[in-house]
Amino acid sequence: MQRSLKFEVFRYAAIAAFLALSLIPTLWMISMAFKPIAEWQSTGADLTWWPKNPTLDNFRFIFGESSSDMISALERTAGRPILASLLSAGFGTVIAMLAGTSAAYGLSRFGYGGNLPLALVQLRLFPPMAVMIPVMIMWAFLGLIDSWIGLALIYGIVTLPFAFWLMKTFFDDMPREIEDAALVEGCSRWRVFLRVTLPMMRPALASSALFIFILNWSDYLIALLLTTRDWVTIPVYMASLSSSMTGQLYGAKAALGLIAAVPPVIMGIAIQKQLVRGLTFGALKE
Amino acid sequence: MSKSTMTRRKFLSAASQSTAMAAVSSPLFLRPDRAHAAADLSEGMIGGPTGFAGAERYQYGPDTPEGRAVEAARSMKAGGEAPARIVLGLSDGSIGQITQPFPAGAPSVKELWEQETGIELDIVGVPNGQEFTKVMQDVSTKSGGFDIYAVEWNRLGDLAETGGIVNLDEYVETYRPEWDDPERGYVTGEKGVSLLNEYRGAVYGVSLDGDFQTWNHRTDLFNDPAEQKAFAGQYGYALRPPQTWKEHDEIAAFFHRPDQGLFGSTDLRNQGWGYTNWYQRFVSMASPNQFLFADDGTALINSDAGWSATQEYIDSLAHHSPDAISWSWPEQYGNFANGGAAMTCAFSNLPKFLDNPGNEGSKVTGKIGTHLAPGREHDGKLVRRSVLWLNLSACVSAQSEHPEVAYLLLQWLGSSRIYSWMTANPGGYFDPFQLANFSDDLVRQTYHDYHMDVVRESVKRTVPTINYPGATAFHNALDENLMAALTGSMSAEQAMANTEKQWKRISRRVGEEKLVDAIKANKAAWPDLLDPIDS
Amino acid sequence: MTDMTSNTPSRSQSQSAADEGAGREEKRLGFALTLPAQLLVLFIALFPILMQVYISLTDWSPLDGIPWYRAYELWIGLTNYVDLAGDPRFWSAIWRTLIVMLICVPVQFLLGLGLAILFVDEFPGRRAMYSTILVPMMVVPAVAGYMFFMLFQSGGPINGILSFLLGSSVQIAWLSDPDLALLGVIISDIWQWTPLMFLILLAGMLSVPQDQQMAAVLLGAGWWRRFFTIVLPRMKTIIVIAIAIRVIENFKVFDNFYIITGGGPGVATETISIYIYKVTQNDLIWGYVAAIALAILIVLSIVSGMAISRMRKG
Repeated sequence: MQRSLKFEVFRYAAIAAFLALSLIPTLWMISMAFKPIAEWQSTGADLTWWPKNPTLDNFRFIFGESSSDMISALERTAGRPILASLLSAGFGTVIAMLAGTSAAYGLSRFGYGGNLPLALVQLRLFPPMAVMIPVMIMWAFLGLIDSWIGLALIYGIVTLPFAFWLMKTFFDDMPREIEDAALVEGCSRWRVFLRVTLPMMRPALASSALFIFILNWSDYLIALLLTTRDWVTIPVYMASLSSSMTGQLYGAKAALGLIAAVPPVIMGIAIQKQLVRGLTFGALKE
Repeated sequence: MSKSTMTRRKFLSAASQSTAMAAVSSPLFLRPDRAHAAADLSEGMIGGPTGFAGAERYQYGPDTPEGRAVEAARSMKAGGEAPARIVLGLSDGSIGQITQPFPAGAPSVKELWEQETGIELDIVGVPNGQEFTKVMQDVSTKSGGFDIYAVEWNRLGDLAETGGIVNLDEYVETYRPEWDDPERGYVTGEKGVSLLNEYRGAVYGVSLDGDFQTWNHRTDLFNDPAEQKAFAGQYGYALRPPQTWKEHDEIAAFFHRPDQGLFGSTDLRNQGWGYTNWYQRFVSMASPNQFLFADDGTALINSDAGWSATQEYIDSLAHHSPDAISWSWPEQYGNFANGGAAMTCAFSNLPKFLDNPGNEGSKVTGKIGTHLAPGREHDGKLVRRSVLWLNLSACVSAQSEHPEVAYLLLQWLGSSRIYSWMTANPGGYFDPFQLANFSDDLVRQTYHDYHMDVVRESVKRTVPTINYPGATAFHNALDENLMAALTGSMSAEQAMANTEKQWKRISRRVGEEKLVDAIKANKAAWPDLLDPIDS
Repeated sequence: MTDMTSNTPSRSQSQSAADEGAGREEKRLGFALTLPAQLLVLFIALFPILMQVYISLTDWSPLDGIPWYRAYELWIGLTNYVDLAGDPRFWSAIWRTLIVMLICVPVQFLLGLGLAILFVDEFPGRRAMYSTILVPMMVVPAVAGYMFFMLFQSGGPINGILSFLLGSSVQIAWLSDPDLALLGVIISDIWQWTPLMFLILLAGMLSVPQDQQMAAVLLGAGWWRRFFTIVLPRMKTIIVIAIAIRVIENFKVFDNFYIITGGGPGVATETISIYIYKVTQNDLIWGYVAAIALAILIVLSIVSGMAISRMRKG
């Protein structure tokens, strides 16, 4: 399309301005993660924008090494919370994908579970905070408080709507001829689902799973209420990064924040195209 | 700091690094020479730490609270009545004092207990500030995750009412913890025991802390002749740590230089913590004390005393960081370490952490002084009042299968010998509160001589916060209204009137009769010490 | 399926039996496949709703020392609901949540739409810029909360930038002033979710068939006119979806708000989720929390039911 030079200049200027503003917080976190302790608290005129003496101490510190600046090593390092986040978000994704994919197929092909689309939207609609008391009591009864399994289960339920809706749109879009052909050859429906449909859906499954993983990985509220110590996740753990010697451990928080931010950013960019479909419950396909 | 000049701080930290590589992770700075360390228990002693000079002070014979506790635990273990392990829920920042060996050559508190009794001690960290929340989760969901809870002392009433914790009277009678020992025990004797450990006349907790709020100032500023001259010129009296709230506010105004990164006074103003500083201003409004409730349970805050304390509390924001309302203690400690304030009020551990050669991040090492809370003049005498707040007390969970063993651990931990040794350890938040702690050399090294005497004197002038049933709700109501006053969405008068209204509602829910009892018990612990006016 | 069978005009016995077999197999499979999801939904809905209905009629608090199932000892009927109707803090939290939504969603929409217009055709650097714009929405909200807490300190970088731009020292206490704190958390929300609007709206814009637009170009319509008369009306569904998603998520907002301000100063940034969190964790009046939860559930069900039936008609 032909557009004027004026428009092009405006376009680049506007995008650059937006990006400049939107990158400030991210860049600040990156910069803080590499600052030595002396530069964390800089204020006013001597605000340090970029680390003058860049260091990896913050990263070493959160993994338990005592650095000369921060004196005492951490009683609990970031290793365990990272593992907790990985396990709970990972298995939560597995639960959501298994239940969501099969239900989506059941509805898309056999018309079963006609109540699910609305029920699942409502599940997503409702603020999780408002059901946390019964959930806490149920989880305690089942012995699931402060366990990654308990966290994975609730994550699986909370993200089930996305798994279901996403996979449903993929199944709806899939031409049935191939399945039909396999059926004519005498395969059972179950076999067709496992051997024909799912392999064809591999890219869709991968992008949906990544999308759901990002959602689970981002949770703060649920982990705050359902974990106590052993399986505290990254965002909950981050609150404990302060010390009586130096106050808020900004650098350590930023370092951990960076670690927490990297996987979703990479995954998000990897599934850019399917993101739209995921975020709109599959209403919009690209 | 150039490389050629060996500053005191560098020197000490270099020295400490070379003497003890053994305990890399503990923030030690003054380590007694290992050569003198005793390897074994002194004569007549049955237990206690060994391996460092002065260890004998923390050892105990059979007829001591520690000795009785350990022997009973041992025999229960031998008789198969003790569990393999005891689970202790504890705020994150305090764990170090139990798990890190101190001083060099010593075992950790945990190691010593396990070695002496054969019962494993499993410590579960709880984020600071969430102690009560986590305990309530455990109680209400019956998860049974802990044998021992450590909570703010004034929640004992609430917890006892839930039935979530065990009445310890029977064990106290059997094992005699001697908390009120006049030589070694709680500073205010029986009164102190009743305040910290009891609810409505029964023992429910064992204090493991001394959170008497104390005041700190910067000696480099207060002793600077130029500052002294300028101050005297401006206000007509000599610059010194303030005796009255009026002096305090003037000194804060004098030093408030935000453009130079210096604030006048940074005692907290945020939600959840700030109201403790309102308390100090309020309770000194009458002599010997301005009480929160009358004996019949009527709230006394919606009065001249309440309004002017609140107004002062709001006005003092002028000499604080502009972020005061959002600052919690990490910001406060960080700022003070960075040399950002002339005065502040904090837990008694502030000098231990910030006037600490091992703390390379602190710019105020060697520059901290402490003083008693400012007061008010009434009839020619000065009423100076500090406040007891937070203060971890450990209690035994009703879900514990071995409450007696759990109690024995607490008696052992909370008695003067082991506790002195533990509180001297700079690795955590447990602060001194027993007479034996204040006179102990190791504790005095960690907390500094100049500070220890001030703390001991502060204890005698300390008012307890609310510890009646409903304490949580009472404090939340006060806190929310004070916040509204601080942010200007309510006047001081409105804030107090509102608080009074909400308190009435809470009283009704709790049950007024129960409340009146508890108020009387709480009042018995209020100090009546008055100071002469020293001009 | 019908296509296949209709090819065979005369069905033999055995074939119809096979069909019936396939039908039964389908039934079984359809049931089995949807069962896990049905069970999970039932699991998370049934007990919580029944329990909340029950304790909402009592004055039960975990401080009472009795387990929840014995809450009937503290039966108070509808008192919690009556209290709720007159609880100013609840209503102001609702109101505040709506205000946040009424500012955040339109701003995000307009910014997102504007950006989407700029990205609708190819230009050098488009891909890289597109990816960079998406970064904020993929940062964990809690982490974003900690970042903004640092940014908004009065000696922090936001005031630093303002000082630099204005040429004089700016010392705004963002998080200590009720209005500015609300503005602060709103900024963090806009920062995080504008990319989402952009992403959805751009995708919607690109899905408008090109031939229509080309026809309009041939007819000589101006760009703006073309945009408003052809592109925007065709994006109606997408716009509704994008706004609906943000409205829903904004209503539940907790993470970054709670971390930046804790709902404070005072109650200045207390949204409905933060309010419920505080009543649950600090006040511990769980019977009352149940009443709040059910009230919200009922309202949301009505609103969503109405919205969906309207969408079906429209």
